Amino acid sequence: MKQLMGNRMNAVYLAVAIFLIILPFVYESRTLLILLTQVFIFAIFAMSYDILLGYTGIVSFGHAMFFGIGAYTVGVFMKRFEPTVPNLLLSILVTILLTALVSYVLGLLTLRLKSHFYAMLTMAVAGLFLVLAEKWRTVTYGNDGFTFRVPDMLKDRTDFYLICLVSMIAVFALLKRFTNSPLGRVLQAIRENEQRTESLGYSVLHYKVIASVVSGILAGMSGILYAISLRFVNTSVFTMDITLDALLMTIIGGVGTLVGAIIGAGLIEFAHHWLTELAKVHWIFERWIIFFGIIYILAVMFFPMGIVGTLRNIKFKGKKEKQQKAGEKIAS
Amino acid sequence: MEVLINLTLNGLATGMLIFLLAAGLTLIFGLMDVLNFAHGGLFAWGAYSGTWIYTSTGSFFAGIAGAILTGLILGLATEKWIIKPVYGNHIQQILITLGLMLVLSEMLKVVWGPNQISASPPSYLAGSWELGNIIIIKYRVFIIAVGLMVFALVQYVLKSTKIGLVVRAGVMDKEMVQSLGINIQKIFMMVFMVGAAMAALGGVLLAPYSGVIYAEMGLEFAILAFIVVVIGGMGSFPGSILAAVLVGLSGSFMAYYVPSLSLAVNMLLMSAVLIFRPQGLFGLKG
Repeated sequence: MKQLMGNRMNAVYLAVAIFLIILPFVYESRTLLILLTQVFIFAIFAMSYDILLGYTGIVSFGHAMFFGIGAYTVGVFMKRFEPTVPNLLLSILVTILLTALVSYVLGLLTLRLKSHFYAMLTMAVAGLFLVLAEKWRTVTYGNDGFTFRVPDMLKDRTDFYLICLVSMIAVFALLKRFTNSPLGRVLQAIRENEQRTESLGYSVLHYKVIASVVSGILAGMSGILYAISLRFVNTSVFTMDITLDALLMTIIGGVGTLVGAIIGAGLIEFAHHWLTELAKVHWIFERWIIFFGIIYILAVMFFPMGIVGTLRNIKFKGKKEKQQKAGEKIAS
Repeated sequence: MEVLINLTLNGLATGMLIFLLAAGLTLIFGLMDVLNFAHGGLFAWGAYSGTWIYTSTGSFFAGIAGAILTGLILGLATEKWIIKPVYGNHIQQILITLGLMLVLSEMLKVVWGPNQISASPPSYLAGSWELGNIIIIKYRVFIIAVGLMVFALVQYVLKSTKIGLVVRAGVMDKEMVQSLGINIQKIFMMVFMVGAAMAALGGVLLAPYSGVIYAEMGLEFAILAFIVVVIGGMGSFPGSILAAVLVGLSGSFMAYYVPSLSLAVNMLLMSAVLIFRPQGLFGLKG
């Protein structure tokens, strides 16, 4: 039965993927193409966040720092050196090293303590990175940021759209495999009951740090794609808004589901787009964070499982108890 | 010598402002196990509402009173509608208070506009005293005095009154206090309101000190307050003032001598505390 259900879901994913691959060839709209590219990039970012929040039960308020590290690394490499493919690969490698290092140190420092410490420390360190990006003018050009050229193969919008789409699918498949692996199971056990996992003989800190590093590296990758898509980078990549985006996407889409993160990314990016257009109608829509903030508060209060979690609940009544637990995971 | 004294006074004044913010944070955490990420938002609301009343009435003390009132009202509303529904659920609390923080700072921009607002100290607090060739700015001394007064007052209430006894007992063991027939919910609400009022007071005092206020300052000071709470120890009231002064002083001295390291030094201090003494210098719980 479970196998059958899995197959049906896989068929749906496949159909959606094929539809998205064909889309740019049959329907030509530059705006939609760029918007969807953004959705894919932020979906990767939100999925990386989901590994922390949804699968391990860790709250980070500084996820933007990994995103920003990726964006700045690629930007600085393309600006300082020739914009060639080997340099791009080198910048990806440097991003992996940097994000892994930062997330490892942060995790080691605070993950053995209660959950607020990680939230607090990540927020403070992300603030530090923002200040660093503003002050280290010789490299980052301060608040204004800088533009850079990208390798020729990334110049075409349609090609880049496909690259982002394929990256998103790859990350999704990889994380699906990761969360279903024995390691992923331990992470979910930590989310459900940390003390029990520890007393079963698992070194909880060790697993939490692994989750933190995996999530950090993937967030760095999404930052790289983001910077390439804009061919421009400034300090906004380190701001709280980026972290907020990840939070909104995972929570509204559904924590601990991965698909939820993708759906959430789509919803938030499109809503963002529409609200920006509406700003011409009434100035209150310029302050769209208020709407998102209120929706977010209500979602945390009343729909802690998000769209996907709630839908699953309705659909598979038999699984209800299990799913409810997943919703309360936000609890522990 | 002159530079040293001025830097010390400057650091102490900043330290007192951070203390006003961190004290509420640490008491609320100690008693209710809630880390209030919206505390910076309450701080900014205190600054805006207080400055608005101050500039429209011309009376600085009316501004201070207005800010404290704003803090009390916002604290009551936050406790009742935002924190209470998610009691005992740490992750939800962290998530929801961050959401509130964002809504609060955006609401500031809706009510008072997105631009910076400038403020200056009232005439009787403006200017400075000259002792020989040392110049002491009056307003800084005023802030330090207010901070010490608040500290003394709260310390007195905590140590010498019945309510203070209940609060201290609650920090140690909530269930026990409850089983003695004390309505701890009421105490929670009161502590939350007082914490919010202290944050708002810090905000309104900051306005003439820094000269301008802007919506993002809530988040900036909240980060400093978090650092202070971690260094001083979660739930420790004396710890919060010592750590706040430490952070304030290190900030002012570093900003003068090694400006590029001023924020990093606080982070290093916090990392050292987290490695060697994760419960904080004076903390009761980890």
